[in-house]
Amino acid sequence: MTTASRPAVEVQNVSKWYGSVVAVNEASFDIYPGVTGILGPNGAGKTTLLSMMCGLVKPSRGSVRVLGEEVQGNIGLYRRIGVMLEHDVLYPFMTGRDFVRLAARLQGMNDEAAVDRAIHAANLEDAQHRPTGTYSRGMRQRIRLAGAIVHEPDVLILDEPLNGTDPRQRVEFADFVARLSTQGKAILISSHILEEVEALADRILLVVSGKLAAAGDFHAIREKLDERPFHVRIGASKQREMAAALVALDSVESVSLDESGSIEVLTRNVAELQRMAPRLAQDIGSRLYRIEPLDDSLESVFSYVVQR
Amino acid sequence: MLALRQAVTRRKLALLIILALLPLGLAVILDSTVAEEGTLIGPVLGGLVISVTLPITVMVLATGAFGNEVEDRTLSLLTTKPVPRWTIVLAKFAATVVVAAPLMAAVAAVITMMDPDGTGNAPLAAAVGVVVGVVAYASAFTWLGLLTTRALGFGLVYVLLWEALITTFLSGTRYLSIRSYIFGTAYGINDVFGEDLTIALTPAVVGAGLVTVVFFLLTVRRLSRMDIQ
Repeated sequence: MTTASRPAVEVQNVSKWYGSVVAVNEASFDIYPGVTGILGPNGAGKTTLLSMMCGLVKPSRGSVRVLGEEVQGNIGLYRRIGVMLEHDVLYPFMTGRDFVRLAARLQGMNDEAAVDRAIHAANLEDAQHRPTGTYSRGMRQRIRLAGAIVHEPDVLILDEPLNGTDPRQRVEFADFVARLSTQGKAILISSHILEEVEALADRILLVVSGKLAAAGDFHAIREKLDERPFHVRIGASKQREMAAALVALDSVESVSLDESGSIEVLTRNVAELQRMAPRLAQDIGSRLYRIEPLDDSLESVFSYVVQR
Repeated sequence: MLALRQAVTRRKLALLIILALLPLGLAVILDSTVAEEGTLIGPVLGGLVISVTLPITVMVLATGAFGNEVEDRTLSLLTTKPVPRWTIVLAKFAATVVVAAPLMAAVAAVITMMDPDGTGNAPLAAAVGVVVGVVAYASAFTWLGLLTTRALGFGLVYVLLWEALITTFLSGTRYLSIRSYIFGTAYGINDVFGEDLTIALTPAVVGAGLVTVVFFLLTVRRLSRMDIQ
């Protein structure tokens, strides 16, 4: 078990480049026991960061320490780290139980009770004797998770663990992670989906274009994200009257008409705009064709945080 | 067992059987038509089995030992466990040897026995020489499979250019040829394998041992230092 006073993972001035491509640029942060989410769009450098924390990728510069020890080349440290990487890989000829048993044996354990516990935690008792080649994507994720936790590691590194899982499995996974975090373990979860991390993590590291854009309490960062101005395109039959009505809303910062006749609104409260636009259209006798957020992509969310 | 299970897929097994049956079939045809002394040991065993079939068989198995794991990204399942890197390499290397050595040794021994010259301990000499070659090739090709995703291409060029061509015509290069180590070992046990293309038993065995150890260590070093995605 890790102690709350000492970071479980220490990343200091870490950079990683492949030729001229910079995957991670001067990242520094500490991870403490509890659940930490690494959030960022695809290609932001999350997997490279996690791979460096697992000792699978050597930093071009800087150092990564896990539980106070250099992770690179430190094979013994894997007794205290559980890893589940993004790639959906298993040995398809093995049954789920054999896969978890193999993971235990590679940890030097010959403990069927530990295998039982891990399979139970992954909720795969019924399918444990089937070859993993017959598993659904969600089942494969869960058996890989069982393999990662069979030795009850102090640090658990999970790269996109919710890929392919259904909503019920996500809830179960959140419960499972919450249970582990109460045992003093440090759990690191990467995702490119904001809501996924919100449901799991108390702290987040926001990674954009290989850089650490923000780090800290999830809710404080989420508040900043919610305050950012959004561009929304509105299609209406009476554009000028509709634009005049919209600009009167407190949350609307500006309104303009584009070449196609659509109204482009800059607002700090999309929910209010979505609620009010139909009422305003009804009041002025206009038809409302569409309300379309223009920059709701993750990239724009992350870019906003970077600019701040 | 995991390394062995991964090494022998159905496709590979079919390829290995074809590679083994091809020289045996040719030996049977030649035996019933030519039946001259040394025909099977020379062109079939030396020219086909030792020069082509054996290195290609080992290459297919050994380059895939790590190559397939790098390609399908299962290598991280092993390398994030507290397992010394040398034991991972040893398992892969051993899987290739365990599959290829009995198969190729049997092929070599049977072909030698079919030859009128292949009396006494000649089949044993052929089998031992082939096993020495399998071990050395397995080590070299395991390293190549971890080094590059184009291991089969580079391996073929090496076998056909260096082993089959250059070391045949430039006698000084034979001390750097696994094929010569095979001939040297077999010749050291039974002189039916001819003196022309061989080196003495001691340099053959030492050379094969050195190749095996050096490439084994290079593979361990590579596995310890490479980025695993």
